[in-house]
Amino acid sequence: MKTILIWALAFGCVGGTFALLWPRQSVSEAERRAVEEGRVVVTYWDRHQGHEHEMRRALIDEFNESQNEIYVRAISVGYNSIMEKLLTSIAGGAPPDICSLDDIMSIQLAKQGCLMPLDPFMEGEPELAADKYFEFARKAVTADGHVWAVPTTTDAYCLLWNKAAFRAAGLDPERPPRTFTELHEYAERLTIRDGNTLTQVGFIPWQPWDMSGMWSLLFGGKLYDEKTGLAVCGDDPGMLRMMRWQQSFGIDPGGGDNPPYAMDPEAISSFTRGLGAYMSANNPFYSGKIAMTAEGEWQVTFIPKYAPNLDWGVAPLPMPEGVEPTVMGWPCVADGIPRGARHPEAAWKFVKWFNTPRPGGGTSPVSDYCYAIHNICPRKEDAVQKRFVGNPKFKVFVDELFRRKVVSLPVMPLTQFYMEELERQRERVVFRKTTAEEALREIETNLNKELVKLRRFGEAGG
Amino acid sequence: MTRQEKRNLRNGLLFASPYIAGFLMFTLYPIAASFYYSFCQYNVVRPPVWIGLENYHALFFEDPRFWKSLYNTLYFTGLSVPLSLAFSIGLAMLLNRKIRGMGVYRTIFFLPTIVPIVASSVLWLWVLNPDSGLINGMLRQIGIEGPGWIASEHWAKPSLVLMSLWSVGGAMVIFLAGLAEVPQTLYEAADIDGAGRWTKFRHVTLPMLTPVILFNLVMGLINSLQYFTQVYVMTGGKGTPVDSTMFYPLYLYRNSFYYLRMGYASAMAWLLFLVILAATLALLASSKRWVHYHGE
Repeated sequence: MKTILIWALAFGCVGGTFALLWPRQSVSEAERRAVEEGRVVVTYWDRHQGHEHEMRRALIDEFNESQNEIYVRAISVGYNSIMEKLLTSIAGGAPPDICSLDDIMSIQLAKQGCLMPLDPFMEGEPELAADKYFEFARKAVTADGHVWAVPTTTDAYCLLWNKAAFRAAGLDPERPPRTFTELHEYAERLTIRDGNTLTQVGFIPWQPWDMSGMWSLLFGGKLYDEKTGLAVCGDDPGMLRMMRWQQSFGIDPGGGDNPPYAMDPEAISSFTRGLGAYMSANNPFYSGKIAMTAEGEWQVTFIPKYAPNLDWGVAPLPMPEGVEPTVMGWPCVADGIPRGARHPEAAWKFVKWFNTPRPGGGTSPVSDYCYAIHNICPRKEDAVQKRFVGNPKFKVFVDELFRRKVVSLPVMPLTQFYMEELERQRERVVFRKTTAEEALREIETNLNKELVKLRRFGEAGG
Repeated sequence: MTRQEKRNLRNGLLFASPYIAGFLMFTLYPIAASFYYSFCQYNVVRPPVWIGLENYHALFFEDPRFWKSLYNTLYFTGLSVPLSLAFSIGLAMLLNRKIRGMGVYRTIFFLPTIVPIVASSVLWLWVLNPDSGLINGMLRQIGIEGPGWIASEHWAKPSLVLMSLWSVGGAMVIFLAGLAEVPQTLYEAADIDGAGRWTKFRHVTLPMLTPVILFNLVMGLINSLQYFTQVYVMTGGKGTPVDSTMFYPLYLYRNSFYYLRMGYASAMAWLLFLVILAATLALLASSKRWVHYHGE
């Protein structure tokens, strides 16, 4: 009798623990009802967090209410770990039905056979035709003859300047620098030093983050040869100019003729480390610690929110001398359907709903989304909606994509690795751990080693 | 084996089975698999392809960053482990006196240990902030312009060592327990022989603490060779500036989840395992000469 009781107790405990910890199938009341109605539940992994995810979720709710076949469950996975989680889920055979990713990640995944081609779905959808999109945006999700994702947001960068800082330095607050020569001249005048410490900086090419990829393109640098499928930055004159230009912002301790705007690399490092959080009133551009910065269109909503009293202007980025003026179309965030997704058709129905105008001549949900988070729409007609270009500052960003020649990062399987290598070597070059020439050659070698390996095992691995 | 023994064995195994199953599935299998993957080209989504020693060869001969990360980790370990030991013994000695409210002091010094690593890393980012941080602020008060700490290529690793000293509470508590174990009779005997404070510490306390020192040394070594979270949080996973905080486990992590080189990362993990194993065995072997156990 006693033994039976003990056994019963033991099973009870184990069973109870399992019952408590067992993952719940439905995450919400709405989903429980949807399942009861017999709807297909589609999981959506969002790369965005915070208010950006909330907005996405509001639109998804609208979709869920608009019909009774599909229920989309949105999960904010966040930017940092999405790749990690997605890969493990794909390897484990349980991927989400839709995933939002940066286009460079999408291509990397597509090249590994992790995504479903979407062009079969897109056929006969005039609203999703290639010519509806900025060319660079569509190109960024196309590889090996297939479209792998649908771009939902994109960015353009311009020069933002602090008018108060201009006034304090005796510069005309309404006249931003137009050439690199002017940019350097202004940078020098706007940089304030206290001994070896920087108290205000005119311009740092790698603030708020490394933009070596963009500067490479703006200098006319060649990153990749699509014919051979190899990196070619090693002895490209544009790349070399780009690297040397960034290097020129750090003083060479070995002497040489440092330009007047150059700063001590350790001092820059200390200065940037001491800066406040990006999404806060302490953002160095808002607090006046950095007078000029290359930034994207979202600042049009960020600045009124975090620094309502900031007196600022926006103008096209100055260009290096002797180079055709271009603008970089930044990587888009794009929605893709992983291979192995359980409900690809239902997933596509949502993707289509999200990215095309609402029936009856309304705006597209994706443009509402872009408006809410103030990013540029990758669909051209969405991008020029009144609510976007009616704002004169936002218009400067959008106009760039129509006026200048748009350049973009190469569509290749290792773009992210490439950008990281550029950033790492840029830092080494600024700190004079290596020369610009050597750094670029090293990047090329490292990258091509990986590319060759990828090709070798891409085929062997099936 | 009697019937009762058999029954006991069965029941014992049954009750331990959740652990055994978990250990086999989530520890032993992954370890074995990583050993296999270390000889493969493997990126998680495609099946692994056997490439023999290629990963190891590439690590040793083609990857300067591997050596840099190994150097960084060894540098950190070499500095942080002995300093932490000295620091925690010192603290334990101070907190081993009979003063009123000692419990409060001990709690205060132990507190940093229970602060989550991520939280304390963010806290230290502020303490070490070159511009507005606590340390440089105080230095400025006395007219010294402090270094860039975590922002400086040369000061970044020492900054992290400094930070590691903040959380020696765990070792300190173990040393306190060790100190309580030292027989009073030894001190009395030393007193009679006319030993001073230092002599008593050097010839009584320290030798009696050696088993605890060995334990903390081994644990400290293992932990600092796997030092990851703090530097991941504080540099955004980048090991900046100029790779000066690119520690071995961080580089391993980057290889696996940023570059999708799981095979390569597995090879790195096994090399780290060998380093830790060798270091631990060497310590244990040497311990015969310097560790004194009670009653020996």
